[in-house]
Amino acid sequence: MAMNACCLTEQEKRIESGAGQLSPRQRINGFLSNFRDQIPRIDIQRAVLFTESMSQTENYPMNIRRAKALNYVLNHIDVVIEDNELIVGTCGGAGRHSILFPEVRGPWFEKALRGAQKSKAFQISDEDIQVIKEKVIPYWKGKSAHERYLAMLPPDTREVIYGNDNWGSAGLLQDNANINTTLNWAGNYKKVIDKGILEIKKEMQERLNKVPDSDYSKMAFLQSAIIVCDGIMGYATRYANKARQLALKEKDPKRKEELEMIARNCERVPAHPARSFWEALQCQWFVQTAYKLEQPTVGVISLGRFDQYMYSTFNKDYQAGVIDEERALELMECLWFKIANYVPFNITATQNYFEGYCHFEQTVLGGQTKDGHDATNELTYLILRSKKEFPLHYPDLSVRVHSRTPDRLLRAIVELIKEGTGFPKLLNDEEIIPFILQNGVSIQEVRDYVPCGCTEVRLLDIDTYMAVGCNLNTPAALEMAMNDGVVDIDGTKKKLMAPSIKATDIKTYEDLLQNFTEAWDFLVQHYYKRQAALEISNAACLAAPFMSMLNDACVESLTDIHQPIRGHGLSKDTGNLSVIGFGTVVESLAAIKKLIFEEKKITLDELKKALEANFEGHERLRQILLNAPQYGNNDDFATEVARQADEIICDVVRRYRTPNGPQNLKHVPVTTHVAMGRKMNATPNGRKAGEALSEGISPTQGRDTEGPLVTLLSIAKAKSNLYNNSLSRLTNIKISPQILTGEKGTRDLMAFIRTFVDLKLWHIQFAVINKDTLIKAQKEPEKYRNLIVRVAGYSAYFTELSPDLQNEIINRTEHQMC
Amino acid sequence: MNLIVLIKKSSVELSLKKVGVMVMKELTGRIVNIQKYSVHDGPGIRDLVFMKGCPLKCIWCSNPETQSPSFQLAYNSKRCIGVESCGYCVKECAQEVFTINGKNNIEMDRSKCINCLKCVNICCSKALHVFGTDMTVDEVFKKTQNQTDTWRSNGGVTISGGEPLLQADFVTALLKKYKTVGVHTAIETTGYAPWERLEQVARWCNLIFYDIKILNKQKHNNYTGVDNSVILQNIKKLTEKFPDIEIIVRTPVIPNINNQEKDIINIVKFLDGLDNLNDYELLPYHGYGSSKYLQLGMTYKLEGIGSLEKEPIYELNQRIRKMLNLRKKV
Repeated sequence: MAMNACCLTEQEKRIESGAGQLSPRQRINGFLSNFRDQIPRIDIQRAVLFTESMSQTENYPMNIRRAKALNYVLNHIDVVIEDNELIVGTCGGAGRHSILFPEVRGPWFEKALRGAQKSKAFQISDEDIQVIKEKVIPYWKGKSAHERYLAMLPPDTREVIYGNDNWGSAGLLQDNANINTTLNWAGNYKKVIDKGILEIKKEMQERLNKVPDSDYSKMAFLQSAIIVCDGIMGYATRYANKARQLALKEKDPKRKEELEMIARNCERVPAHPARSFWEALQCQWFVQTAYKLEQPTVGVISLGRFDQYMYSTFNKDYQAGVIDEERALELMECLWFKIANYVPFNITATQNYFEGYCHFEQTVLGGQTKDGHDATNELTYLILRSKKEFPLHYPDLSVRVHSRTPDRLLRAIVELIKEGTGFPKLLNDEEIIPFILQNGVSIQEVRDYVPCGCTEVRLLDIDTYMAVGCNLNTPAALEMAMNDGVVDIDGTKKKLMAPSIKATDIKTYEDLLQNFTEAWDFLVQHYYKRQAALEISNAACLAAPFMSMLNDACVESLTDIHQPIRGHGLSKDTGNLSVIGFGTVVESLAAIKKLIFEEKKITLDELKKALEANFEGHERLRQILLNAPQYGNNDDFATEVARQADEIICDVVRRYRTPNGPQNLKHVPVTTHVAMGRKMNATPNGRKAGEALSEGISPTQGRDTEGPLVTLLSIAKAKSNLYNNSLSRLTNIKISPQILTGEKGTRDLMAFIRTFVDLKLWHIQFAVINKDTLIKAQKEPEKYRNLIVRVAGYSAYFTELSPDLQNEIINRTEHQMC
Repeated sequence: MNLIVLIKKSSVELSLKKVGVMVMKELTGRIVNIQKYSVHDGPGIRDLVFMKGCPLKCIWCSNPETQSPSFQLAYNSKRCIGVESCGYCVKECAQEVFTINGKNNIEMDRSKCINCLKCVNICCSKALHVFGTDMTVDEVFKKTQNQTDTWRSNGGVTISGGEPLLQADFVTALLKKYKTVGVHTAIETTGYAPWERLEQVARWCNLIFYDIKILNKQKHNNYTGVDNSVILQNIKKLTEKFPDIEIIVRTPVIPNINNQEKDIINIVKFLDGLDNLNDYELLPYHGYGSSKYLQLGMTYKLEGIGSLEKEPIYELNQRIRKMLNLRKKV
């Protein structure tokens, strides 16, 4: 069927016409011209400098060592100001780059860097690899955080997670420990913008004066805070000097003036409070740079409530006529470019658990004020406009919605969704706030929550660190339940446990559920064992004095954020144990319950034989499975199966604890559902071996056929709501542009979002794109290299994704009704 | 003893009658499909209920499965996994309707089919399926009421077809049910029915989409199989008698049949004499229904006719709206 011109999204029109996206702002286009042709470069400065410092401070406490190392990096790393930049500072030179954190995974670098070089996902020179081999790896061998963690893991847990590769993942529990990030965090930018580092340093000094002489750990906390204060101010001074030098040489009077302004900005911030919007943005980026240089974050340093903490300087400058909207957009987009240039180092950009150079510097808009009123302001709308006009998919953008979100904001959200780039994702205050309230925090504090990562949220001055969780392969638990504890992963069969009912004795659906519960329990126990090991090993190996200094809970207790903080702050997650393949499991259970135990159309044995053969020679059986009642179509039978499965999953998770307390579960796969699916055998929902598992809390790609509203209702009904530990349920809805055309399309989607708010679902994001476009992009990647699509909690260039993930995205149901 | 049983299957009804049970048969409607999240058939997001059976046989019909009032066996070859992997239909059908056609596919001789529909139950992939199911008012209501959230926003229910007026009693009962919960109701009708039936249904509608396909009597007869006098009389009465109901007249624009401006202008002249018309919409022809003809073993006479450019039709529509003093509602 020929594509109809009236049904293309703005993004599709641009690509079809060959125009590509240009920013209305000339300066931004200048940056863009060389961005997409750059393969990110691995910059080794941070790794080398950090190691140099760490190797000279071994007798100091860990937080002092980290503070000195960060200070050393900030004072020695190259100071680079690129042409036409208005916001300055970089973690590793000019252009698109990545930096290394040897303290976490140093010994793995030799293999990883060669791999990155070979796959052409990152650029690194042979000389630089040699430097890493000689100056960095030898120091860290046996000392890295990941090795400490591995040494602590019980052997059976280690086997279940890693199989025979200690730096990879076997596919049952995909471990995020120390891979790209040591924590998810939202930066506390407001504090520095409003107060200035000098004031914070003064407070630290005053506290230090009051600490009793012998309380060395508290002294160390404050001393390290003072060291990093000096570090970041020194870094800014170096930029001020550089800008002055460049200004002297600059011939173009306009640029000369800009460079002088940049110099003045860097003299002012972050030492002093920001007075202008430009200063506030520069301050924000300096703070962000320090966060990024301090420890690995996969870019999960959320930008926080950007429209809130930036509003006062914006409004002041705007009212005074110092800036107009265009200038404000230009300044912000210079910051977006800085963010886009920083790429976390993954083994390869594709074929991984985090595909497409993803990083999630989530910028959140809207929501409520501390006193419970709608928080939307003019800057909110300006940032939404920027997202429409700015040609890159960084930073990530989310909007907090609630029952009093004004229609004007909903309309602006929908107009951006209709662009088709997957922005913004929506988080629902009506679901999230009650969940956090149960932790005993005041309602005022909770209303100020900040999303970070995909769908997780943090309270900036109350929450403390959580060791990063891991993804659990839920369909594998079902496989074990049916097969006496044997699971077939990556072509190898392993007996991992023994369910109490032998496979041959499973006579009822309840028998199967009993075994499933036990197999799930087995995986969950290993999760908790690794979580406990990680909490303890990270506390021994890691410290983050800069981040700790900006967290009130840490400052109150004078304890580093990587340590358990008793009595101050909350050690609570909003989902750390990630359930992968919920849809796959409940569809499988529904098919088994209906066809084997109720209708007795097939036997469990027949099913197992067909799965073993990957349905070859059993296509008829596979069709019968595919046509069983489907979760996602609001079918009473299937949603009850889903609700019951949810109950079991939640109940098992709440049986255990780590030293820091119980953990919550979430449904956030990033791209793990594709990676795990690749290693998994066929499943009883008719899915063939190697195909992606279902995503988030959604039904399997392509199974929900009754329109997006019915999908939402099904997801809402699947919530068992018996326990309060299921948070961060990620929902991805793919909509054909055809049903969003015109004013009516806008209004319909606004109504749809209101329904989402009313149904109290945690999160939703929309992929608005024609299937044809995606198929064409697979065939002609060159033409479609600027095509941005929603992946999981983030958007990425479609052509930078692996073929498996591309197919998964194509297969997500496109809700298209006439 | 007088046992009263509420049932819906007439076969059961007979057997129960034989054993002396007094049966109160519940009203059912024959439905083809309930489509969720429809956005092009009335305000907001709607449920669309397609009734089965239509007195017209328009040659461009895009929903051929709604024409016959009977259950209809359909075969979707794309879903069929082939006789090598399955072939149960060939084995099980006593009438020998199905044969293997050399390759891996099946062929149907519909003349042998007695519509027992046993094959539908054994087909694993739902390649063989039935168009048509009998549902009670409550069943349809339940299937659609999960959309309450949308109705609250701005949507509702649209009864389409087929021709809803062919099952006027059922449709009336269904619309009443929606009215009791305050749901916005609409129907899409050809208007080809006795006035009493239209009147009976109309009083429960907020909105009526009314088709006038061709004004010329003979031409109408040629392409739809029926005379249009009733249709034209009914729309007159409807606009006179129900000034409060929103009425939108629609014309599907079909290549080589009524896509000349004069065809449309004739209709416009007729419409000019009507009061209380809310809008007039031209619907550009599309051929999306052609695969369903194939599934039903029917011939699609307009196969390959191509589609019409939409822009000129939208422009013409806007000009007509001005002529008729109609303001397009958003």
